[in-house]
Amino acid sequence: MSNDASSLSAVWMSGQRVDKEHVMSSIDTVLERDRAARQRERGIRVGLLLVLVCLLPTMLWAAAHGVTPLVRAAYALMAAGSAVAVFAEWMFLDWSRRALPGPADACSQLQRTASMLARQIVLMKTAPIWSSPIFVGVAMIGLWLYRDRAHSEAFVLWAITGAGWVAAGLGTASARAKLNKRRLQMEQLLSELQ
Amino acid sequence: MTDTPDDRGHFSELMEAYASPIRRLCAAYAESTADREDLFQDIFLAVWRALPDFRGDASVRTWLYRIAHNVALTSRARHRRRQSRESPLEDEDAAAGPEMGLRRLALKRAIAAMTPGDRTLTLLWLEGLSAIEIEEVTGVKSATVAVRLSRIRKHLQPVEVTP
Repeated sequence: MSNDASSLSAVWMSGQRVDKEHVMSSIDTVLERDRAARQRERGIRVGLLLVLVCLLPTMLWAAAHGVTPLVRAAYALMAAGSAVAVFAEWMFLDWSRRALPGPADACSQLQRTASMLARQIVLMKTAPIWSSPIFVGVAMIGLWLYRDRAHSEAFVLWAITGAGWVAAGLGTASARAKLNKRRLQMEQLLSELQ
Repeated sequence: MTDTPDDRGHFSELMEAYASPIRRLCAAYAESTADREDLFQDIFLAVWRALPDFRGDASVRTWLYRIAHNVALTSRARHRRRQSRESPLEDEDAAAGPEMGLRRLALKRAIAAMTPGDRTLTLLWLEGLSAIEIEEVTGVKSATVAVRLSRIRKHLQPVEVTP
């Protein structure tokens, strides 16, 4: 290292001393944050498993024993949609974890993070399609209500279904825009670094 | 990672040894004290999570700088940093002595004005890493690193002569 480099290094290293007490308190905070994050992720995964274990068999039973073919088809669609939604959520969590910074070199890390974000964006983009069996299934239950029960109940159910579908679409569009902004920042960082 | 006394002891030793360089890195990437503290903890957290997979293929120093810079680079995109309301000459700069403090401040300002890519290379160089080690940390070829550092050093010459 040349003299000017040594001198600049000395200037740079002259500040930011960290006392042991601060390091120890940071370690405690970090371990607590890690435990909390793991518990939260475990909670989400347990929730997803509960949906699969409880809701899915119920829907499949209803799909097999529903009062009319229309109701059976509706529950079958909802069961398929729920399974796809759980799988999608599982993948989203997995990609989020894999996008976290690790010990790879910076270029590889930025590429991997951008790639995981791109996958998440595609998942979000297609959400209104892969979640549609759930909404279509509920709408078919509404159709059964319209034909065999009260019209007002059917209208209420269709209104709720429509609002839910629109809300899901808007929610995923907003999340997608944020993810895309991050992905573009990652790609820009990568091009600046290389 | 399980929180056993051994794991924690190993982690504590590592963080004690590298707390100051990481703190300097945080000062270069984040403006406010709160942001620096957030980034400092984010780096600790990433190191804690990566520690079980560390097999000693790379030196501890380059392994740790990889994680620290990856967290710093990606966290800039993840969080919108808070506005800094701090005075330009902070306590740690002043503590280094008036002359050194001013030179350090000038250096910090010059680094803050760099692109994230140049900033990463500069910080590693200032911490004393060779071009080969910088390649290991960043993935940028050592020849490219040398060329870019030569340009950066010319840019930093005014800081060198600041009294």
